Amino acid sequence: MLLFGLDLDYVAVVVLFCVGLYMLVAKSNLLKKLLGLNVMETAVFAFIVTAGMVEGGDPPIMVAGTSAPYASPIPHAMVLTGIVVAVSVTAVALALIVQIHAHFGTIEIDELKELP
Amino acid sequence: MRPWSLLLVLLVALPLVAGVATLPPHDAPDAPIHTQVGARYLERGVAETGMKNMVTAVLLNYRGFDTFIEVVVIFTALAAVLALPRGSAPLPRGSRPPPTGTGTIPEDASARRPREEEDPEVASDVPVSPVVRFVVRLLAPFMAMFALAMLFRGHITPGGGFQAAAVLAAVFIALGLVLGRNRAAQLVPVDWRPWLQGVAPLAFALVAWVGWRLTGAFLGYPIHDHTVQEAMGFVLEIAIAVGGGVILVRLFLEMEA
Repeated sequence: MLLFGLDLDYVAVVVLFCVGLYMLVAKSNLLKKLLGLNVMETAVFAFIVTAGMVEGGDPPIMVAGTSAPYASPIPHAMVLTGIVVAVSVTAVALALIVQIHAHFGTIEIDELKELP
Repeated sequence: MRPWSLLLVLLVALPLVAGVATLPPHDAPDAPIHTQVGARYLERGVAETGMKNMVTAVLLNYRGFDTFIEVVVIFTALAAVLALPRGSAPLPRGSRPPPTGTGTIPEDASARRPREEEDPEVASDVPVSPVVRFVVRLLAPFMAMFALAMLFRGHITPGGGFQAAAVLAAVFIALGLVLGRNRAAQLVPVDWRPWLQGVAPLAFALVAWVGWRLTGAFLGYPIHDHTVQEAMGFVLEIAIAVGGGVILVRLFLEMEA
């Protein structure tokens, strides 16, 4: 579907990415920043998977009942890798946020800056 | 801060929009993504890997190194989380003025302590509604069965090791929330846990070694022996499901503690 000559699916991905980026830079709460990062990651995954789809495509599984054209298998495998990396990043960041909260009692960047 | 953030977002958005404007439509069959190496995988994948699910074939076979490092990444993430000091006392500096006088523990330190320390048996049991408790206990076997189905039917249906790992982890986390983490934790023997957490990288190393012995290439698959190929893939999928699931559960428990 086209919008002003742009592929609407890709535009949606860009919008999602920018929403995440805004959360990342504008929010002062560390958890919200992390959520923003996850939204950005989701946008990237959506972009890659969208790029791999084909008109009328079947899943790339060669069994009876599916037929060409198939969706490209590479984006799926890449996104699987990306999801695992996203989980790892989220886990380490959350652990650090828990530590920051335990040490300073706050996870607001503004308040953390004012600490002696 | 906010206007600058919006400006930055716009500065990022414009090149992105300009970039996607040059891409072929996302479902065009003649886009490069469908005509380059992806087409070759689809064409020869079954003959070369013996797998019917091409995503699995790309994941374990064509791009096996990628997946090997991937399971190492999530294992490393767990190691990093575990390496952080647990439940350490607050630093003397804080938002409140530091306590004066003797070296007693500041009052706010004990206040921030979770109750679990006093009574580990009722650990972190937020009161759960009976409805949630009933539904989770009712559905847990089916969720586990769904995970197993994704694992063992993953070669001919969408699914596979990572997906099964996510569902398995969800089962354990949901059970831990309604039953209390201690009862859920009893399901996995203590002695096994370190090995289960590392089972995915270990299995990859083992399979890579077997492939090296058989074909002379690290993580090589014997291209003409589909039985051996399937066995190697099967071992990897099970290891990914178990190892990934255990790591996810452990990560969750570390956050909670």
